[in-house]
Amino acid sequence: MSETKEEHREYKTDEDFDRAFFKDIERKTNIWQCIQCGTCTASCESGRWTALKTRSIIRKVCLGDLTVLKDPDIWLCTTCYNCYERCPRDVRPTDVIMELRNYATKLGNISPNHRAVVGYLQKFGHAVPINDEVRKRRVELGLEELPPTAFKFKQEGDDKDLKKFEEHLFDLPPVEDKEEKKEKKEEK
Amino acid sequence: MVKEKTFAFFLGCLMPNRYPAIEKSTNYVMEKLGYEMLDMERATCCPAPGVFRSFNKVDWMVAGARNLCIAEQLDADILTVCNGCFGTLQEINKHLKENEEHREMVNEKLKLLGDYEFQGTIDVRHVAEVLGYEIGPWGIEDHIIRKLNVKAAIHYGCHFLKPTRIREIESSEGPTIVEDFVEVLGIESVRFKEQLTCCGAGGGLKAYSGDASMTIFGEKMKNIDNVKPDIILDICPFCHLQYETGQDYLNKNKGCNYDYPVIHLSQLVAYCMGMDQEFVGLQYQLMGRDFIFGGEDVIKEEEEAV
Repeated sequence: MSETKEEHREYKTDEDFDRAFFKDIERKTNIWQCIQCGTCTASCESGRWTALKTRSIIRKVCLGDLTVLKDPDIWLCTTCYNCYERCPRDVRPTDVIMELRNYATKLGNISPNHRAVVGYLQKFGHAVPINDEVRKRRVELGLEELPPTAFKFKQEGDDKDLKKFEEHLFDLPPVEDKEEKKEKKEEK
Repeated sequence: MVKEKTFAFFLGCLMPNRYPAIEKSTNYVMEKLGYEMLDMERATCCPAPGVFRSFNKVDWMVAGARNLCIAEQLDADILTVCNGCFGTLQEINKHLKENEEHREMVNEKLKLLGDYEFQGTIDVRHVAEVLGYEIGPWGIEDHIIRKLNVKAAIHYGCHFLKPTRIREIESSEGPTIVEDFVEVLGIESVRFKEQLTCCGAGGGLKAYSGDASMTIFGEKMKNIDNVKPDIILDICPFCHLQYETGQDYLNKNKGCNYDYPVIHLSQLVAYCMGMDQEFVGLQYQLMGRDFIFGGEDVIKEEEEAV
């Protein structure tokens, strides 16, 4: 089965999701080679100051504990690749965390700020859009007021590129309605 | 074969939309060195390896491949000035060249975005690597007209060198490419504790948790402040942003008093090659606005003989 189809497959039950997840992570990373030596955690720049414990996350996945997908800690990695470089078993922990984040996203576990960045890409073609002050600076420096990126073409009325971006890329699951959630809690 | 001495200039997001002086400087440097710089029309965000790869790796590859296709149509290698753009585009380019299955998958999805097909005909380069290895300290000497006398804390960032097996530039534990290059410009590079650690901006952390990002950065700044450099020299606009806004944040919230000018390698080289300081753009930045590069004019030997 091609990967594109798999990306858009609907998981009918939790079990389906679990099976697909473990099959996928086995195929894409070297997670089963982990010997829990802790080099990743010891090399982790973020983990020195935050709750991120890479070794423990990998352990949980190996044991089939999927709570890691709801764990905010997986979003604390700065992808500095120190663990990736130093892992003696070539587990490539950064890649593991990336896969976990991909699956967390599918479940809708994305921070509002990250949602906003995806919105910027689809609307402006940039993760960081231009502002009036920088437009002025560009002119002062003798540059074109707008760089020749997709956004410039959109401003000139040709928005087909960004429309296609919005249509086909980074389709995030909808935000869970908070009021609905509250009602559910109250029912309980 | 790609065109020689020609680059498709990939702008990315932060450089054109926040630090246009880096764009100006890079154009100045590369054109003076005899390269032709081509515009990549309709390019988008690379997309950033921290955030967008975290959401959907396949879509990240497709959007990156679209940018690569634009350069392929120009028949030129890509030049980036940003570790993030370099990380994304170099990794996707290399991966799709090697992995036929993924290339087919990405090409299939690329059709949805327009007339694009990944061929694998070009390479992706970073300005620090082009200057450091292709021009080299031996080659830049003929082009500089000013030599500085400045102490710099050099920050490599992460994605320029790591993962080393994909980048294949040099060791990530003790790199010297930037130090070796800027020495001829009169820069004394000062070593500081934990020099090669992350600035704390990457991986979507700056957007996800500003506090965590600033804690990591605060430690970094403390180590830099210990050696009291004149400037902080970086090779990535995202690290550049982190050093700029981060110092400002620490001053306002943590009782610090930092004012280190943050300078991208392109800005520094452009100044040494004769660009006026007003175009280096420190007046637009938050830190070190009063810093004056100064430096001595380099007197060429032939001129002396006359």
